[in-house]
Amino acid sequence: MRLLRLLLEVLSVQYGRKLKTFIRIEVTTAALAGLAFVLVVPTLDAMLQRDTGRAVTWLVVTGAVVAVYAVVGYQGKALGYEVGSTVSRALHRRIGHHVVRLPLGWFDGTRQGPMGQLASKGVVDVMGVPAHLARALIVAVVTPLTVVVGMFFFDWRLALSALVMLPLLVVMAQVTGALVKRADRRLHAARGEANARIIEFSTHQPVLRAFGRSIEGDERLDAALVEQRDATRKLLFTAVPGITGFIAAVQIAFGIVLVIGTNLALGGDVSVAEFVALLVLTVRFIEPLVVAADLMGALRLAESSLGRLSELLAEPTLPEPEKPTLPTSSEVEFDGVRFGYEADRPVLDDIDFVARPGTVTALVGASGSGKTTVTRLIARFWDVDGGTVRVGGADVRDVTTEHLMSQLSLVFQDVYLFEGSIVDNIRLGRMDATDDEVIEAGRAARVDEIVERLPDGWHTQVGEGGTNLSGGERQRVSIARAILKDAPIVLLDEATAALDPANEVLVTQALRALAADKTVIVIAHRLQTVRHADQILVLGDGRITERGTHDELIDRPGGTYAAFWSRREAAQGWRLAASPS
Amino acid sequence: MSDNDQPTVDGRMATADEGQTIEPVSVAEILRPVRVPLAIACLLRAVSAVAMIFPFLAVARIGEDLLADGPVDNDAVWGSVRFGIIALVVAMVTLLGAAAITHIADVDFQLDIRRRMAERLGRVPLGWFDARNSGQVKKSLQDDVGAMHHLVGHALIDTVAAAITPLATVIVLLAIDWRLALFTFVPVILGLYLYSTMMRGYGEKMQEYQDSLGRVNGAVVEFLAGIAVVKTFGEADEAHQRYTEETEGFADTFHDWVSGTLKLSNLTEFILSPVTSVMWVLTGSVVFVANGWIEPTEALPFLLLGAGITAPIQALGFSAQELQVGLAAAGRVGELLATPTLEVADSPRSPDGSDVRFDGVSFGYETGGRDALTDIDLELQPGTVTALVGASGSGKTTIARLVPRFWDPRAGSVSIGGVDVRDIDPVELYQRVGFVFQDVQLIRASVADNVRLGRPDASLDEVVAASRLARIHDRITELPDGYDTVVGDGAHLSGGEAQRVSIARLVLADTPILVLDEATAYADPESEAEIQEALSILAAGRTLLVIAHRLGTIVNADQICVVADGRIVDRGTHDTLIRESEQYQRLWAAHDSGVAGTVS
Repeated sequence: MRLLRLLLEVLSVQYGRKLKTFIRIEVTTAALAGLAFVLVVPTLDAMLQRDTGRAVTWLVVTGAVVAVYAVVGYQGKALGYEVGSTVSRALHRRIGHHVVRLPLGWFDGTRQGPMGQLASKGVVDVMGVPAHLARALIVAVVTPLTVVVGMFFFDWRLALSALVMLPLLVVMAQVTGALVKRADRRLHAARGEANARIIEFSTHQPVLRAFGRSIEGDERLDAALVEQRDATRKLLFTAVPGITGFIAAVQIAFGIVLVIGTNLALGGDVSVAEFVALLVLTVRFIEPLVVAADLMGALRLAESSLGRLSELLAEPTLPEPEKPTLPTSSEVEFDGVRFGYEADRPVLDDIDFVARPGTVTALVGASGSGKTTVTRLIARFWDVDGGTVRVGGADVRDVTTEHLMSQLSLVFQDVYLFEGSIVDNIRLGRMDATDDEVIEAGRAARVDEIVERLPDGWHTQVGEGGTNLSGGERQRVSIARAILKDAPIVLLDEATAALDPANEVLVTQALRALAADKTVIVIAHRLQTVRHADQILVLGDGRITERGTHDELIDRPGGTYAAFWSRREAAQGWRLAASPS
Repeated sequence: MSDNDQPTVDGRMATADEGQTIEPVSVAEILRPVRVPLAIACLLRAVSAVAMIFPFLAVARIGEDLLADGPVDNDAVWGSVRFGIIALVVAMVTLLGAAAITHIADVDFQLDIRRRMAERLGRVPLGWFDARNSGQVKKSLQDDVGAMHHLVGHALIDTVAAAITPLATVIVLLAIDWRLALFTFVPVILGLYLYSTMMRGYGEKMQEYQDSLGRVNGAVVEFLAGIAVVKTFGEADEAHQRYTEETEGFADTFHDWVSGTLKLSNLTEFILSPVTSVMWVLTGSVVFVANGWIEPTEALPFLLLGAGITAPIQALGFSAQELQVGLAAAGRVGELLATPTLEVADSPRSPDGSDVRFDGVSFGYETGGRDALTDIDLELQPGTVTALVGASGSGKTTIARLVPRFWDPRAGSVSIGGVDVRDIDPVELYQRVGFVFQDVQLIRASVADNVRLGRPDASLDEVVAASRLARIHDRITELPDGYDTVVGDGAHLSGGEAQRVSIARLVLADTPILVLDEATAYADPESEAEIQEALSILAAGRTLLVIAHRLGTIVNADQICVVADGRIVDRGTHDTLIRESEQYQRLWAAHDSGVAGTVS
């Protein structure tokens, strides 16, 4: 029931109606099956008393019921599959629709794996609910119920003895469910730990192997695997008594009917033919219940997938303004901005600055000082805790996501390219660009230099994530994309990893083409970039500790910028030698 | 980010190539450790299937006795009741016993197979890990092994039940009355025939379905990884185009598949359903009794048993899909278990000294493919620095990785202290060769244990001394529990800090030969100076091979090798190369203009 409620919750109203119709049809089918079984009693009774005429009459009635059962059943099945594909469509649409509305900060790089699982296997688990699970469950409940009701018409004592175990079955299922849930939690934790250790084992292989650990076995991994085994075993031993009890109780019910029925028949209290016919019926009563026990596992799986889906859909999205305003220029302004990823740990505190159109603002500071956070707040990865971020005079929260994004070009360090050709990837910058415009942007970003070396030129496939290109090459493609887009504000995270000299030159040329006449805010790692910036903001402990141009800051005695500069310059002149210098 | 990308791409091709040549470990071989419990379980399940017939026969017998002419034999009736209940108990106990045995066996089996896989992975060439991400390894060890549960826990005993139950029933019914028995089997045979028709082409359809599902997975990953691009460039409200296409395509594929077989599958299910069986047997019984071919009570076993004959077959049909998934997973596990391991010499030799020599080394990532390295001759003397310079993809990373035996060369040899690296015990090899490539590798353990990985028996004083040298001691003492702080749980270290912990580890390990990717120094520009200091201390007095990115760093190197297209084209000191090597001059020219470049 919880399952159906969840399912109706994640499906919207239009799809939900179909599901309800489906359930009604399935209940009818299961009841008709029960009715057909009940009709076996008078037929069999007639046959055992050699009354062929009466037997044939009942057979005709039973046949009619079976015919209706077949027709309704067919419709149910057809609808079940239709609901299945509808569920797939509806869930995928809702996931896609919801995910694009989540704040960019939600995508922290750990989401791909679980989300991929959820949208493929998770959705399949849920799709199976109507066509397989719900169907089998309805049969397991409604058919025996109909049979028992039918039995009351023939002999209430036997019907009652078939029912005697029912409360026990319900209690057994409940208690086992609760116990299994607890053991399941332990297993879930153990599995998570084992996953982490396996990932560690494979990424740290060189380190582990250096001292023979992998050859003897990594003891941390082994401990995690053993704990996972123990937790699985615990789950098994928790579930077994419940399942055993359930199946045993079902069979005991049969035994009770047999004993009481025999007693009544021997005492002449019930007609022998009726008793034998009811025994046949009891078998039909039991079978679906045994099937139900088998379904518990699948049910739990679907329930947890559905739970995770509804959690995802409940993830709060970035609020959109009701009365959107439009930025009037490409000026970026921070006004007393306060922000933290966790409530009591501010990353930025009281940040004020203005980045004017046509200027370069360089952000400098130790790692963890909040440089990346500044650029992310402009692109509204997150909303600020205090103060205001303005673009062209408008609070970013008052600008629609679509419009805000149209004002920004983001060039990250870790560039992701979509599977497709180089041209396709550049064109993402502006979908309606002509081929000439795309190639023009590519030239400006020095992608032409890459293309010359590749067999298929501009139409070379970049591979999933762009893996066929090197880091520097990927970055140039992404810069070309930004050049084509030609947004007035450029947010740039300069590459930290050293590119080989040739790439370094070309990336620099590409960036120069991109930055011309724009409002540029750059997380600067290269000294030349910092030196020529119109404004340098030095961040420390979430605040701006110094600001100005290179010439203003470099001579300030005891200043952090001066210290930063001299250390970085020293690093540039570093020489590696085998003998200590 | 830099030229490390190259081997990854090539390495991936190498994997595809490996897949064709290796014979995977067979499913039977994988299951060998559990064959005894599985055999016992199958036997129990067979007993259960046969025993399950007797309660029904007892009921038929009771009916017969009660309806017989003349006085009822009470004792005989109660005897049948007892017999039926005992048979029922036997059937239940053996059924549950079989399931319990397979499940318990499966739990231990999973641990065992995971250990076997981990042990295997501990011996494959390190390069193998370059071509795969850790997520794939996790999938093999966890998900694939997990998917085999159905195989071990259910499939075999289900198959036994599906075979024995109908067989025993057929025999019993034929013995009672062969004519009614044949009549009873009509829908069963018809149903099975339809079922097999339906299953024709199932494999392809299933494959199509799985492929479509795989594409959904890929589209989601791409959608999320590129979400910033989707948001900045796409229509703000619309999901990524490929995601939409693939998910809609999946729903269509599913719908086409099921609606294409709907009529047939529905008919099959109807014919095999208990409702139909009961109706059919009942009709037959009435006809047979009316014609006097059988006694009315003789019809009872048919009604009780005949209707249940199809149930196990149907159960098998339902689990067929999971069985396929389990078999496919077992196949992948078998492949992993057959991954070629690094060959270890029968009688390993110890190197004499720590000079490194490349002797006519050629290497390619693909068997029979083009050479990534051709005819490399190189000598590294103890206490000297050798630098490899060259463009992305020139092969300098590949050269460096052959020293710690990430791969073995195709021709020629790499030797340490006069001994081929293939003849050195791997443990000893790694004790002599330390390497720092770009990824920082800290494990989730205390900081002290992370440093100690370099030498597990080191005292805390030694750990502290190494950390001081690596310029990370002060930072460690600031952590909540100092050296006992667990990395990841109690402390977040920046890239540069983690880098220095890994350098401390190398200081402690004290390997005489060191292979270094200079790019590590720039992973965290803010602590670049500290990392450089630490590296300088680490490098002192060792045989050093460095992959250079900033040419300035290596002008003092004892030997500089210019690598292009997998060959060493020029070598010498900075002073000679800058005069004589055109390639080297060109690298410097590019380097200078790069340093002078600026954004504004």
